[in-house]
Amino acid sequence: MRPAIEPGDWLLLDPTTHRWPRRGAVVVIREPDSDVLAIKRVAAGPGERVALDEGHLVLGPDEAWLLSDAADAELIAAGLGRPVDSRRYGPVPLDCLVGRAWFRYAPLHRIGRIRPGR
Amino acid sequence: MFRFSDILAPKTTVRAHCDLPCGVYDPEQARIEAESCYKIIEKMGQNSDPTFTARAIDIKEERADLAKHHLDVLWHDYFKPEHLEKVPNLHELFWNAAKQVSKVKASTDLADAKKLLDLIDEVDAAWRATGGAEKTRVARQTA
Repeated sequence: MRPAIEPGDWLLLDPTTHRWPRRGAVVVIREPDSDVLAIKRVAAGPGERVALDEGHLVLGPDEAWLLSDAADAELIAAGLGRPVDSRRYGPVPLDCLVGRAWFRYAPLHRIGRIRPGR
Repeated sequence: MFRFSDILAPKTTVRAHCDLPCGVYDPEQARIEAESCYKIIEKMGQNSDPTFTARAIDIKEERADLAKHHLDVLWHDYFKPEHLEKVPNLHELFWNAAKQVSKVKASTDLADAKKLLDLIDEVDAAWRATGGAEKTRVARQTA
């Protein structure tokens, strides 16, 4: 999730969120396939259209499309593979949402609100 | 010694979660599992013992799941958008193969299992056409 979130960042979550935050927000979810706690960005919310290679899909009323910020080139340079996100496991239901990451309280030089991104 | 940061430190770790791929891909993995399904269906036709049938169905479903997993790994991790130039029907091929695995999982018709093998052979041809055999496998010891 670089550069928005760096490894070792200490984050505050809003766990009271009962619906998907707006596009660009950073959220923590339990991945649908694995139950892994993962941090991703909301790329599209309920009812929105997601463009695919061929065609598009319309998200359900409780679904979001979550993506990683990482660019493929950076991941390859770091020896990693493709991000595991909605391109792998599809739309994410609201049940999987743990909370919205809204504030970084460490390290000291990076303290501040987590701004919505692209 | 007490440290204030111990109180503030997060208690939970979350991951950005990316694959750490080994870079080895081969449709042969999916084919072996699909061949297991084929052989199991064949044996089921030759044996009416209910215990054998129950066990065979259980193993066939397990092997079909493995075949689907190996196909998914190829589709998601090996094939890249640029491969569509050489294999324009790539997505349709994987869609059909994945659907056929589901069919084999629930079927006892040998023709269904054969069709799955044929589709995996088409995936194999696509893998070879995009240089998979040279790029992703480690060379064997030569005699």
